[in-house]
Amino acid sequence: MSCYESHQSQKSTKEVSLALSKYGVQEKGMSKILMVSPEKCIGCRSCELICSFVKTNEFNPKNAAVTVLAYDEAAIAVPMMCMQCENPSCMKVCPVGAIEFKTTGAVVINEDKCIGCKMCLSACPLGNIVFDAGNRKMVKCDLCGGVPKCAYICPSGTIEYKEATSTNLNKKKLIAEKFKEVFGEVQ
Amino acid sequence: MPVVKLPAACIFVHLSVGVMFMKVMFFAYIRDYTGTKETYYQHCQTLKELLEKLSDQYGEKFRAKIFQGENLGPEIIILVNGRHVEHLAGLATKLNEYDEISIFPVVAGG
Amino acid sequence: MFGWMGTILRVNLTDGTIKKEPLNKNDACLYLGGRGLGTKIMMDEVDPQVDPLSPENKLIFMTGPLTGTAAACPGRYEVISKAPLTGSIGASNSGGHFGPELKYAGYDGIIFEGKAEKPVYLSINNDEVSLKSAVSLWGKTVFETTDELLKATSEDARVTCIGPAGEKLVKFATVMNDKHRAAGRSGLGAVMGSKNLKAVVVRGTKSIQVANPEEFIKACWDARRKLKAHPVTGTGLGAYGTEILVNILNQSGALPTRNWQESSFEHADETSGETLAAKYLVRNKGCFGCSIGCGRVTRIPDGPFKGFGEGPEYEAGWSLGADCGVRDLAAICKANFICNELGFDPITMGSTIACAMEMYEKGILAKEELGRDLNFGDAEGIVEFTRLTGLREGFGDKMAEGSFRLASMYGHPELSMTVKKQEMPAYDGRGVQGMGLEYATSNRGGCHVRGYLTSPEILGIPQKLDPLVTTDKAMWLKIFQDLTAVVDSANICLFSTFAIGLPEISSMLRTALGWDCTDEEILKIGERIWNLEKLFNLKAGFTKADDRLPDRLLKEQVKKGPAKGKVVELDVMLTEYYALRGWDTEGIPTDEKLKELSL
Repeated sequence: MSCYESHQSQKSTKEVSLALSKYGVQEKGMSKILMVSPEKCIGCRSCELICSFVKTNEFNPKNAAVTVLAYDEAAIAVPMMCMQCENPSCMKVCPVGAIEFKTTGAVVINEDKCIGCKMCLSACPLGNIVFDAGNRKMVKCDLCGGVPKCAYICPSGTIEYKEATSTNLNKKKLIAEKFKEVFGEVQ
Repeated sequence: MPVVKLPAACIFVHLSVGVMFMKVMFFAYIRDYTGTKETYYQHCQTLKELLEKLSDQYGEKFRAKIFQGENLGPEIIILVNGRHVEHLAGLATKLNEYDEISIFPVVAGG
Repeated sequence: MFGWMGTILRVNLTDGTIKKEPLNKNDACLYLGGRGLGTKIMMDEVDPQVDPLSPENKLIFMTGPLTGTAAACPGRYEVISKAPLTGSIGASNSGGHFGPELKYAGYDGIIFEGKAEKPVYLSINNDEVSLKSAVSLWGKTVFETTDELLKATSEDARVTCIGPAGEKLVKFATVMNDKHRAAGRSGLGAVMGSKNLKAVVVRGTKSIQVANPEEFIKACWDARRKLKAHPVTGTGLGAYGTEILVNILNQSGALPTRNWQESSFEHADETSGETLAAKYLVRNKGCFGCSIGCGRVTRIPDGPFKGFGEGPEYEAGWSLGADCGVRDLAAICKANFICNELGFDPITMGSTIACAMEMYEKGILAKEELGRDLNFGDAEGIVEFTRLTGLREGFGDKMAEGSFRLASMYGHPELSMTVKKQEMPAYDGRGVQGMGLEYATSNRGGCHVRGYLTSPEILGIPQKLDPLVTTDKAMWLKIFQDLTAVVDSANICLFSTFAIGLPEISSMLRTALGWDCTDEEILKIGERIWNLEKLFNLKAGFTKADDRLPDRLLKEQVKKGPAKGKVVELDVMLTEYYALRGWDTEGIPTDEKLKELSL
């Protein structure tokens, strides 16, 4: 059973969605994705903290499915997490078929089927699967069942959970506005 | 027009012909609303009068920070000659010619 | 264990032994952790009369029960020792990532005893703990040391270390972690240097558990939501950093200028948070688990003060800026970078230079001795003397003793703006009366973060108090001091308290620790800690005569501005304060009070 389906997580999911609704954030959305804007990241690792808590009920950033890589000299930090690939290597390599697509768009490890062989960890080209040695299980982002807590806790707006289309549209708008500026000057 | 914006050097000219001005200074993101760090205003009788005029000039975003209904907003600090208006007479604080008024958002540090 | 990890490391540097001891549960309940628990250990194990730089002094790193959890701003740890600058109990905390990592390695704290024969560093990788040679690191800067140790261990390890200033026993050397974060005041870095301890490297993969996860996370969400919604913690601090305070203190006539001879600075805006954000800010940065992000990553792209680093914070910007009459923000940034690199406190540094400037202008210090002019406003001067002090070279060797000892060498201690030999920070007590009382009563000498009354007096948080009157200041200060002791012992960031208060902090603590207690009982812990610190200082030889301010604040009236004509009305506030604390007229806790606090 994947994490978000467990009783406990359902409870906290409900609670967070309640909190989210206060912020006017929609809960449902099959086409939503986690968008990361590293230029906003303050390197606080709150995402790691909350992720480890949701997955294990304990605080341990090393067991989080998200990792913040900080580059001191370049003054930038980048949160890295599972990209929920459309053609996932982890799913292909899993010998027992424990990795499944969910309706949220998440690629999720079914813990009932998982034998802990760690092949997925090796197969992921992005290095985004972790082995939690304490609890002897694989840790991978499952989008918290459609309410990713990292996006909710992120204080700087670096991690957002939003419609893929609207995100792209915003980027298009930015470019369009640049065109507007250029032509505005010409006129 | 109630608003007269002057470079500092010009003020002496105006002062010398008998028009009185008050200096109003803006800080932190209030500057984003006003587009300037400071401005000079003709004398207003009360703080309320001055703030109404400023709000007319700088628009709704500015007004929304300054006022909450009939009162001063909770996220604003206004000093008249360095004194928080809370310890003077609030919006009813009487202003004198050549007073200095500083407008801050609520800020903190340490 | 919940909240705590349950183990303390005891490292004897003299004989090289390392012991893992169980956390004293009883003490942890009475003192929480961090500042409280560290002070308790000092009280139990160290003679308060000890020479701070002798092997008999101990150096304690301590986290709190909220460090490393999802609580509001949980990135802090405390360094506790007897302080070289003041001779009082010393406790300084720092953010960054080191504190949480220490807990993830399985330890609530480390007690260092004795003195190593040759330079060493402590290496911690979960259960593997060992002392290693730091001979090759001795003399290296904070940045070099951190980089080399990360290379030698692991990129994701965390390093706390001292720079050359700590090694050379600069009286106000800092303990630096994650390169730019400092346990900054009172000279605890010199204690580390005196023990030949260069650094601690830690890497941990263990988990922190809390007693009631569901309720705890709810309390954390609540606190974080309030931090996000508050204009200070949600907007102002992230956008402008702590330097945002320059203008408001200046307009309020409480920005000490030119060694406190004046109370406002005509070039304040040039050194403000607004200017810093516009000119030199690269990005803002948060400590571990922080939602505020007040840290400044700054770059001076070119010119004589070219450099890259973090800060300055308000206090550093003020001491190197207005207090020295310096308006060049690039020079202020540069001097602050040097303080971080060499590892010493910019507040004391700037104030000491300001003191020297006044002595120079008054003809007490000669040009020959300084090696150059040193007038107020000398931007190159602050950078040069900052560097010389960190390395104890030239006249910097004398400045490295802090302004009190420096001014005393020349027979003018009254020109040192210190309380208990520690330099007061950036709020003129004559224009902010409560801060005057705070400086006089702070258990570690001139300090603003024991009871930050600037918050109600200038900023109106949580409510507005008139800064020019003394009414109720003692009462407010007691509450602020007690609450701050709780915050520093739970080890969350004090800045969170602009948006949250005792109820939120208490509910995070209760749910983390599984306690069933009232908010008032938690505040009582703070009062207990405050009194314990006071007892340490009394045993160290401090008296009522030390709860005093420089004459300049008590006798010289403010010359202009809103506080014109004011001095700090200390006597009236101090009498009221002692009474409220349940202390006698000499400032000594009564037996009843000690009994009430189980001390």
